[in-house]
Amino acid sequence: MKFSGIFDETRIAFGSMADAASGIVSPKVRLGVTGLSRAGKTVFITALVHNLLHGGRLPLFNASAEGRITRTYLEPQPNDALPRFAYEDHIEALTGKDRRWPESTRRMSQLRLTIEYNAESLISRTTHGGRLHIDIIDYPGEWLLDLPLLDQTYEAWSADVLSASRKPPRSHHANEWHTHLQTLKPLDDADEADARMAAHLFTGFLATIREASVQPSTLAPGRFLMAGDLEGSPLLTFAPLDVPTGERAPAGSLWAMMERRYQSYVDRIARPFFYDHFARLDRQIVLVDVLNALNTGPEAVADLKAALTKVLGCFRLGGAGRLTGLFARKIDRILFAATKADLLHHDSHDRLENIMAEIVADASGRAEIAGARIDAAALAAIRATREAIVSQNGEDLPCIIGIPKAGEAIGKDKFDGIAEAAIFPGDLPDDATAAFDGSFTGALKFARFRPPETAPAKALQAHGCFPQIRLDRALEFLIGDQFA
Amino acid sequence: MTGNRRKPAAFRIDPAPARPKAAKTPAKRKPRALTVPEIQIEPEPDDGPLVPARQPATGVARAIRWASLLTSSLAALFTLWAGLAVTGLIENLFERSELLGWIGTGVLAVAAFALLAITIRELAGLFRLRKLETIQRDAARAVSGDDRSAAASVLAALRGIYAGRADTAWGLARLKDSLEDIIDPADRMRLIERDLMAGLDETAGRIIARSARRVALITAVTPVAALDILLVAQQNLKMLRAIAAAYGGRPGAFGTFRLARMVIGHLAVTGGLALSDNLIQQVIGKGLIGRLSSRFGEGAVNGILTARIGLAALDLCRPLPFITGAKPALGDFLREIVSFDKGDGKG
Repeated sequence: MKFSGIFDETRIAFGSMADAASGIVSPKVRLGVTGLSRAGKTVFITALVHNLLHGGRLPLFNASAEGRITRTYLEPQPNDALPRFAYEDHIEALTGKDRRWPESTRRMSQLRLTIEYNAESLISRTTHGGRLHIDIIDYPGEWLLDLPLLDQTYEAWSADVLSASRKPPRSHHANEWHTHLQTLKPLDDADEADARMAAHLFTGFLATIREASVQPSTLAPGRFLMAGDLEGSPLLTFAPLDVPTGERAPAGSLWAMMERRYQSYVDRIARPFFYDHFARLDRQIVLVDVLNALNTGPEAVADLKAALTKVLGCFRLGGAGRLTGLFARKIDRILFAATKADLLHHDSHDRLENIMAEIVADASGRAEIAGARIDAAALAAIRATREAIVSQNGEDLPCIIGIPKAGEAIGKDKFDGIAEAAIFPGDLPDDATAAFDGSFTGALKFARFRPPETAPAKALQAHGCFPQIRLDRALEFLIGDQFA
Repeated sequence: MTGNRRKPAAFRIDPAPARPKAAKTPAKRKPRALTVPEIQIEPEPDDGPLVPARQPATGVARAIRWASLLTSSLAALFTLWAGLAVTGLIENLFERSELLGWIGTGVLAVAAFALLAITIRELAGLFRLRKLETIQRDAARAVSGDDRSAAASVLAALRGIYAGRADTAWGLARLKDSLEDIIDPADRMRLIERDLMAGLDETAGRIIARSARRVALITAVTPVAALDILLVAQQNLKMLRAIAAAYGGRPGAFGTFRLARMVIGHLAVTGGLALSDNLIQQVIGKGLIGRLSSRFGEGAVNGILTARIGLAALDLCRPLPFITGAKPALGDFLREIVSFDKGDGKG
């Protein structure tokens, strides 16, 4: 994003300086967990906290593996206006009797994890004595799609949404809204009833395409789907219009009203969301649910790429110099993670990483140029499966074993959510671009599994932690350097 | 993908037997002929190893090795003479008295046995050195090329080498813990480096520092120049052996000799670079101490040389390339060398 306003930059600069000052005596890392909805943000945060709190086995996370972490605990988060991340509830859901994944996130929440460790450097020992705060924010993934709106005008946004919604498969869901759209005359006087109807139908359209879970890139504005208190307010009562290009909205017209409301939405909702929570991140992990997109088809993969490219374009990346970092805090490490890697045998993880690299190619290229350190990994914050080789008809299939969720099906096999099954999800393409060209349609099927069984009595003990894949590597990359 | 693409399949697992096994109702997995993408994109050529594997020593190939021909033929002559002499001796002994003859035969047998044992040990030592080299190559491949099989063979080889040693027991146990985890080959190497190599590096560093200090001291106090050359050479060979032993090599005389040759070759390759790096420190060390006493100056120079030889040997013997940790540099030992007052007690 181009931060046009000097005001915004000043705000960030002051915030950064305040952070730098307080960071000397109580250093903290703002970890941005970025991901579209259903990418696994909540599970990632829960697993991360659980592993750190209970001393999970994280061999590649040096501070923990070397035994330098002395104590880890949750502290009241710094932002009093936000609810606390419902860590205990999520753990309860994961380890409870019916073991299920946490509900999708509907509101914003924050968590502060404090790690005490044996500091190595003299400076660390004398200033803060080896204490590190990690601030993490969880939020509905849909909201992330508001970020690209920050530097889009109403007209540009309208044109984008309309052209996207007129192409299949979205157009199938948009009939009703499009019919109503034809009746609207943007240049005529504003009528609240028209606006309400248009917003209502537009919201319906967004809801159906979210249900179809194929096309994340056009789900903005995110609050339309999770209105909360704002339901019915003018902020959420606008919709795209077919407006003539190169003209200005006549005063008092429907167009002008919609434009004003769009601007208010951007200024009152999208911008604060960004500045309060994303503008001053230190480290970022981008969770990408590649497998779900592959399940759906090549359009979904392409759309995922489009959405992520737009969203990641908004972040402030770059290697932080010692002095410049004082005024302009930037994300200096960014990890792209293909989540749910446990739905695949580890033989295929490299291919998964390649496909993800293709999806985030623009963003990672930009990050690299900006000087941020980047890494990519196939990751499973909670590993729900184990691996096996199944021999069938003289062929060895690398399979994963777990309990598929009730209702999942592969071929004619339907799962009841109780029986274990070995699943061979198909071979991922060697060449990542094949994921986009449709040659793999139907050749892959990733079933979702229930969370792994951890004996409830052991869940809170040191060795009862969730198994994971490369969570330790992710941690080492993201915060490993902070334990000096 | 050129062959048949494998379709997704599911296999039910009977809950009763503990061991997972394939389903009774095998999903039908007909091989389908699928369109092969017309353009087969070749895998990108490797950018070359990121962690450089050690350069193999480059020897100059000559047409006929006259010198070696001479030595071999002389050695053959000598062997013939020795064989003849020993046979003559035994025969002589038997002529004098049967008892003496048997005693001589017995002694000869013991000598032959000892010779055999020594040969085996030397060969084993050479083999060990060779093995360390192989591990190094595999490790470099695992790190740079993310090669799973290379990583596995490195781990297996290291577990073989370090099994049964007290100073590596802890690290091996840690590595065993994470054996089942899904870890990338490069990360696996990092784990090995952290858990296993760190301790050995420390040992090797101590050996180098001690030897360097001792060489410096010997040079400074030995009255006769020829004597100090001998002592320094002996100290250096001792250091080489100790370093190799620390990393799991067990070089005998020949092994040490070979190692020494490799070290010289290694110094020839890397020496120029290292020299320019540390020239200033050297000049300072030499200048300051040299001004105080020319003997101590010479001592410092010899010590620095010894440390450099030790570092080269460390490079050669360490089964893993340096991945995360900083490679020990000459500067780490300078202080040790020039501070004569502090002995480490272990002598």
